[in-house]
Amino acid sequence: MRQGGLQLLALGLMTAGFVVPPMGGSWLARLLALLCAFVTLLGATLGLRRWDARAEGASDLIAVLVGAAVPLMLLEGPGPFGGAAPGLWLFLAGWVLLLWRMLSMFSRLPGGGAGALVAPALFGVALLYLWQVLVVGFAVPQVLLPAPSQVGHVLATQFDVFWLDFRQTFLKAVLAGYAIGCCAGFLVAVIADRVPFLGRGLLPLSGLASAVPIVGIAPILVMWFGFDWHSKAAVVVVVTFFPMLVNTLTGLAAADAMQRDLMHSYAASYAQTLVKLRLPAALPFVFNAMKINSTLALIAAIVAEFFGSPILGLGFRISAEVARLNVDVVWAVIAIAALAGSMFYGVIALVERAATFWHPSYRA
Amino acid sequence: MKKLTVIVAVTGAVVSGLASAQDKLTLQLKWVTQAQFAGYYVAKDKGFYKEAGLDVTVKAGGPDINPSQVIAGGGADVIVDWMPSALATREKGVPLVNIAQVFKRSGMMLTCRKDSGVKTPQDFKGRTLGVWFYGNEYPFLSWMDKLGYKTSGEGNAVKVLKQGFNVDPLLQKQADCISTMTYNEYWQLIESGMKPEQLIVFKYEDQGVATLEDGLYAVEKSIADPKMADKLARFLKASLKGWDYAIKHQDEAVKIVLDNDASGAQTKGHQTTQMLEIAKLVEGGKLGYLEPAAYDRTVTTLLTGKSDPVITKKPQGAWTHKIWESAQK
Repeated sequence: MRQGGLQLLALGLMTAGFVVPPMGGSWLARLLALLCAFVTLLGATLGLRRWDARAEGASDLIAVLVGAAVPLMLLEGPGPFGGAAPGLWLFLAGWVLLLWRMLSMFSRLPGGGAGALVAPALFGVALLYLWQVLVVGFAVPQVLLPAPSQVGHVLATQFDVFWLDFRQTFLKAVLAGYAIGCCAGFLVAVIADRVPFLGRGLLPLSGLASAVPIVGIAPILVMWFGFDWHSKAAVVVVVTFFPMLVNTLTGLAAADAMQRDLMHSYAASYAQTLVKLRLPAALPFVFNAMKINSTLALIAAIVAEFFGSPILGLGFRISAEVARLNVDVVWAVIAIAALAGSMFYGVIALVERAATFWHPSYRA
Repeated sequence: MKKLTVIVAVTGAVVSGLASAQDKLTLQLKWVTQAQFAGYYVAKDKGFYKEAGLDVTVKAGGPDINPSQVIAGGGADVIVDWMPSALATREKGVPLVNIAQVFKRSGMMLTCRKDSGVKTPQDFKGRTLGVWFYGNEYPFLSWMDKLGYKTSGEGNAVKVLKQGFNVDPLLQKQADCISTMTYNEYWQLIESGMKPEQLIVFKYEDQGVATLEDGLYAVEKSIADPKMADKLARFLKASLKGWDYAIKHQDEAVKIVLDNDASGAQTKGHQTTQMLEIAKLVEGGKLGYLEPAAYDRTVTTLLTGKSDPVITKKPQGAWTHKIWESAQK
């Protein structure tokens, strides 16, 4: 019955929105918006009736989709919004409740795969939509928070610039630094495991090196390796080395005593034990470090670019454009960096799933 | 007893707040504390601001601070900025207006190593040039545009580096040429051991691409408000008095600047040279007066960009003599 209550409240709010002016004029000034609003109310009312779940869902979906168009149509017109448009905000509030009802229905959809993605995807789109409506409706200054439409416009028109920046930062600095840093960390861990004497010395030293902040080593590395992507890759190496070292060492100790005894009973050499038992057992830990390093690497490369770079790169673009008050470009770069970081993480997670399918954490 | 102490303390704070008749004003400088801003520090330390009934907070700038951005965010009432940056910000929607032009001449120049083989601006093609950003890149971009060199994207004619706070790129041969000011970075190169014979300089004034540099800017709202305009006029009068004093008593001005340097990074020798060079840029004509002809020259330089103009249309109402005239009274 709580769902029905939500629906009723949504209806109530939206109807209340009709009584008050939606903007400078009245609802009658925007007939198309009024029509869509009526369709929304109809859909919402039909959704109240307890028919079968599919009809309910369908009418709610139509109500939400048509209802989304109403604020957009109203905001296209002239006239003050913000505090002078209570009708619009009441309608929007009702729409949000309707969306909530619809999302809770969709999240219970059976079937994995694509079905499970519908509700989160719709939620994401709805968030972008609300951001757009609120920023335009309350006339938020562009230097504080640009609207998603402005960010999208920048992404579309300056795509070639962003592609070059992405290539410089991600494809060159991040990937090279990540590969070198992870391999170095892995190799040093294997050596430290083989020669405990070295391990006792190297571990604290590596910890010391990793504690140095990026803003301290970046200018030094720029002086050593030049302004180009090589110094940024060097920063990424320093940042990704320690997590990989620590995780690999822990992983190498993960094969328990019984398993090592079994290998010993088979007269396996150190190398055979390492390759056939201990490294596979260490894989979950190694992938753990790789996932952590994927996001760290991108952050390190972007921050390092603040300290001297050629005039290209994601970090350079953020620092230069924020000083020119082009905040929409800054948000576009943030979106690109977030997307790149998430996809990098996702790719490593997929490889991990394939390589360590046997691990208990993947059951059920 | 504790309650009484609190009451006394609060009353004392309120009374002292009411008693001070000084108007508060915040000035944001364009760079770190150095002789480039001697006039303002002299006006503060010699009490010229206090005489005018002002309590001025002087905020030092730095490599990551763009004064136009600070005033847009409400962090300052008046800023020291260069005209290209102020006009570009004005076009972006922040209504900055020039209320005084302190520097009559440009001190910007591109300094190259003689051993890199660069002899004329035509030799820049294919070279690595260092430039500051955060509002300092506009004169350079304008010059490159005039020469017809693309600075970014595929097939760029010159490679541009975002320079930091120091002259290392030239010393380390990471760049063929770097941006320097006649009063600062050039002398840093000399002080680090390079000889003038090893360097070749291209002054923006000689290349015909000079733009107006240090000037005072405020937002339109401040100038329209009579109380604020009066504060700005008093501030300008005291500041120009400070500049006049600084130019006539350079050693004392250097001492005042060093006293105000919180970082302790500046040295007496470097600041003395800087004060001498700054005086050359400020002197001549009416102190702080923006010559409309000089303004027009700057606007023309910025507008004649082939592919990457700094501003796209002629600015309207970007300067006023109102405050300067009030300051003369």
